[in-house]
Parts: sequence; C-alpha cells; structure tokens
Amino acid sequence: MRMIPAKHIVNEAMSQMIDLENREVSVALLHDQEIYEVELERIFAKAWLLLGHETEIPNVGDYVVRLMGEDQVIVARAADGQVHVSLNVCPHRAMHVCLSDSGNARVHKCIYHGWAFRPDGSFIGAPIEREQMHGNIKTKAQLGLKKARVQLYGGLVFATWNIEGPSLDEWLGDMKFYYDMLFDRTDGGLEVLGPPQRLTIDANWKTAGEQSACDGFHTLTLHGSVIDIGAMGGEHDTAHESAPAMYGINLSGNGHSLRCIPADTSWALAHGKGDLTPDERLEAFPPPGITPELLPELRRKMSAEQLHVLAKAPPVVGGMFPNANILFIYSPLRDGTLGSALVLHSIMPRGVHQFEWTTYYFAEKGTPEHIKTMMRAAATQGTGTSGIIEQDDSDTWPHMTESARGVIGRTETLKYQAILGENRPADWPDKAKVYEGFGKDDAQWEWWLAYHRLMTAD
Amino acid sequence: MSAVTTASVTYTRKDQRREEVAYGSPVHNAVTGFLIREARLLDHRELAEWATLLAEDLEYKAPVRITRRVQQWDQEFGTMGHFDDDYNSIQLRITRLTTTTNAWSEDPASRVRRFITNVSVWETDIPDEYEVSSYLLLTRNRAEAKDYKQLSAERNDRLRMTADGFKIARRSIMIDQVVLGMPNFAIFL
Repeated sequence: MRMIPAKHIVNEAMSQMIDLENREVSVALLHDQEIYEVELERIFAKAWLLLGHETEIPNVGDYVVRLMGEDQVIVARAADGQVHVSLNVCPHRAMHVCLSDSGNARVHKCIYHGWAFRPDGSFIGAPIEREQMHGNIKTKAQLGLKKARVQLYGGLVFATWNIEGPSLDEWLGDMKFYYDMLFDRTDGGLEVLGPPQRLTIDANWKTAGEQSACDGFHTLTLHGSVIDIGAMGGEHDTAHESAPAMYGINLSGNGHSLRCIPADTSWALAHGKGDLTPDERLEAFPPPGITPELLPELRRKMSAEQLHVLAKAPPVVGGMFPNANILFIYSPLRDGTLGSALVLHSIMPRGVHQFEWTTYYFAEKGTPEHIKTMMRAAATQGTGTSGIIEQDDSDTWPHMTESARGVIGRTETLKYQAILGENRPADWPDKAKVYEGFGKDDAQWEWWLAYHRLMTAD
Repeated sequence: MSAVTTASVTYTRKDQRREEVAYGSPVHNAVTGFLIREARLLDHRELAEWATLLAEDLEYKAPVRITRRVQQWDQEFGTMGHFDDDYNSIQLRITRLTTTTNAWSEDPASRVRRFITNVSVWETDIPDEYEVSSYLLLTRNRAEAKDYKQLSAERNDRLRMTADGFKIARRSIMIDQVVLGMPNFAIFL
C-alpha cells in the first residue's frame, strides 16, 4: 500500500503553493508527483464526477466503461431500470471484469476465473457452485463490485466515492439554479449525439480544469485566428469590438462557474442592431440549443427568475468543479442558418503529466433530426479533436506543464490578480457569486479556492 | 444493443464496391499516383493546392472507434467523429491555417509524413467513380519533441475522375486508436 502524506504535510504544502493573500498558485503544482497522488485521493475520490449521459445506455444491460480519476468504472442500466456505477475491478483477483468500452450484458463475467456480476454490481457466483470457490469467510453480498454513489441530473450521470458526503444538489449549491437552464429545461431533456471523442493531452489536468472556470480573456489571443476568419464574431462600432463577448456576467459557486453573454450582444453579432424587449428577443432568438418549437417547453419548465436570466444573458460556457467543461454556444450550421453546438468535456488525469480529454455532444431530444445532424457537425468542426477553437487549447496546456519541469520554472506562479469583485446587478437573482463587466480572474480564483478546500479538508 | 452508442453507420461502403481493379493496371496506377501526390501536398503544407483535389459535394469523416467484443466487431464505429466535415468547412479550416497569423495549434507547424500503402480499387455503379481503400501511417513531430505522435488508419475514399483529374468525393478515415495519442487534428488525414 502506498503511503499518503500525513495531513499536516499536505496542509503545509498547500500553504506554500497557494498564496491566498496575493492570489498566486505555484507552477510546481503542475508537476509534483506526491501532490498528484493526494489529488486522486482527496479530489477524484471525493468529488462528484461527470461520467456521461443516461441516453448512452437506454436499455437494461447497456453499459459504458468510464474513468473516475484513474479508476475504471462500469456505468450500467440494471434490471431495476436504474443507472449503477461499479468499480471495474474483480474482488477476486483484481482483474478488469469488463473488457470492451460499451455494449449490452445481463451478466459481466470475469474472464480470469469466471466470477460473475449483475449490471448493478452484485455478485452472482463463481463456476463450480458446489465447491463454493468464493470461500465461506465472506458472504456473496460482501463480494459485489465496489459501488459508487450515483445521481442523475438532467440525464447526466454523476458519481462519487464519497458515500457519506454532500448530495449532488448540495455540491452544486446555488449554481444548480443556472445549470438547470442548460441541462434540465425541456420535457424531453438532452440526448447524446453518439459515443464520445477521447484523446490524450500531455499536460497536468489542472491546466484545463482552471481554464474552464470562466477564462474568457484567452479567447482574444489564443483563439484570435477564429475571430480573424469571422467564425467568432467581434461587434463593430462598440466597446465590444475586438473583445467579443468579454462584457457579460460571470458566476461562481463552490468552484463551479458559468459565463453569461448578454443576449443583446449575441443578437447584435447575429442580426445587427434592433429594439426588442428582452422577452421579444427570447422569442426571436432563443438560447443555444433551443429551437423555436421547444420555446413553449422552456417557458413552462423555467421559473420567472430563470426566464429573466435567459432573456437578459443566458449562460453559455463554464465548468463544473473539478473537471468538467461546458460550451453551449451559438454556431453556424451547414445550411447557412445560425444554430448551436452543445458540448461537455471531462478532464480525467492519467498521471501527473497527462490527462484524457473526453468530448460529448448533445441536442435536446425534441430537436428535429436533420438539425441534430447539423449540430453534431458544427460541434465537431468547432470543438473537440479537430475543432478550430479548441485545437489551440490543446497546444497551450502542455507548454504550461513543461514549464513546471524546470527547477526555476516551477518557482513561478499562476496569477489571478485581475479582480472585478462581486457586483450583482439589481435585477439579477441573488444566487452564487456574480461578477458583471469585463470578465476577469474572479471565478478562476474561486476554482483554486475550491481545490484548496478539498485538498486541506478534514 | 444500446441505441445510441451502437455504430450502425457503415463507413466502409463495401456495398458500393463492384469489380476489383487489378493491381498494376492503368487505373490502379493512376489512383495510387493520385494518393501519393495528395500525401505529398499535405506533408509539404500546400493546402490550397490540396483543396483543388476536393469535390464540392465532399463528405469528410473520421468516426470515433469503440472497443467491442468480437461478436460486435462490425459495430466499432460511432455516429460521432473526430472529423465531420464538408467542402465548405474544410475550406474554412484551410483559410484559418493559411491566411491568419495566429493558428497556434500548427504554428510552429508539425513535421508530418503520410505513408500510403495497401491501395485497393473497385469499380462502382457510376462510370469514372471508384471506391478506394488505402492504409495510412502518419508520423507527426513538433517543436523539440524527440518522439513522434503516430496514427494508423484505413481510409475509404470515393474518387471521381473529372476533366481535371481525380477529385475526392468522400473520405472515411477509420482510425485504429480508441483514445487518440495526439492532442488534436489540426492536420488532415
């Protein structure tokens, strides 16, 4: 068994590496092997993690294999119709029970000695029943696959090993009010548009993690090429010129975050100036992913407060602490109309210097099929492996990680000193921390504070 | 079988293959020569020239691969892809890579070699159109990296002979990796 550093040693390391007063984070955090092992224990074995969507496994027996940190888990729909998440490690000799990454099985039988398990993880038995090859020290009930705690939200599958910890609702806190506007806003809900893209980036997971917390500023430079070719618009003759969508409302709570782009900015980018009331604009220009036929459902399902946010400045990009990245954005479709790309990423560590970047694309179930096809293409062209936006991000994170290899480089710090401060507009809901204006470092710093809290938690 | 993750889409288009064109025949030689020239243009970053080889009804896809039990060997590819492109979107990619000064994922550019082998050619129901299968071994080196990011794939193309030579009307790239080892496809395959 590997030794985890004592708590006071971790606390001491955190106080040295995260300067709470000056809002700086040591670059050494991107490199340290011992810190990484602690992260697996204190973050990836404690946090609620995004594992996919229930529409990937609609039928009893359907399963996908996913990662929770470096642990493989089986996400399966059992005979009870519920989604269960079980460790993909045989309790007998630690063999992987499931060897394909998706499929349908009523029984998962280990190929080594034949121990067999149901989709809910429970132990059925071992071959040669009369010889009772699991012994008589432990009961069958004690020999199931290790079960994670599961919660579905808008069909998204979340799981945690923190069995006694906060519920997913508590974990999301006030931010759930805003996430509802993305994940839980229509009668049919979301569905995946196919199995996810998976790729490897040679970088520490936190480089992508902290960026997801409202780093809008990087788009101006890193994604400048996308602005230059007109695929990410700048509004002319206003303060927004050359800073598209930088003026908005950033939200943060428990390390989670969202960027809300004013609807009048998006409207002006798409259609030029116009004098519409917020409600007229919501009707003429629904938030990303909502087609006109879904608007009545949206109006019915959202509260008046949520509809106000959607009409004024809908949330479009952000993250869910520690390792999910959200883009629910407007995107041109191949038929020339303005549509949307609905994208979720998970960032799963594969060692201190590498992570797996998994990409899911979505549409509302009630979206016409031919539009779903175009949304999938638009999402693929803009984000993920070949996306003209995100391919530049995958080039950046490895450089940051490489910097941490140098003994001098790792004495540098990541700085979060551009501060806007909480300044909730009078007509904005009193939920989560609200930052209105040119997006600054506030929400990203909150991401690190959430990291700090978990790493030093009792 | 799960409705969504199951790859019911056929990317190989075996149903469209008719008589196989003999190895060493003039048509086979012409196709092979075309693929070698195409790889040379891409390796040398002559993207505008490469774009002239594309048909305007182009379908350019690289479906995600899934690890399946052998009983589902024929359901290894998903409806989602690493590429899901058409003629216009490929042109937009080329515009970004060649006319801007800040397409950072390929600036500095990778050093890429595309090795094309195992070329098979079939006639189709349409005269002057061919179904073509070729193997791709791609090595990609960037900056000071000592190692290479590698990729192997089978490409299933629909080639159309025109007055200007062959045009690529469809390319389905069947990648051998489920989890890609390279961080992006800022390059064409």
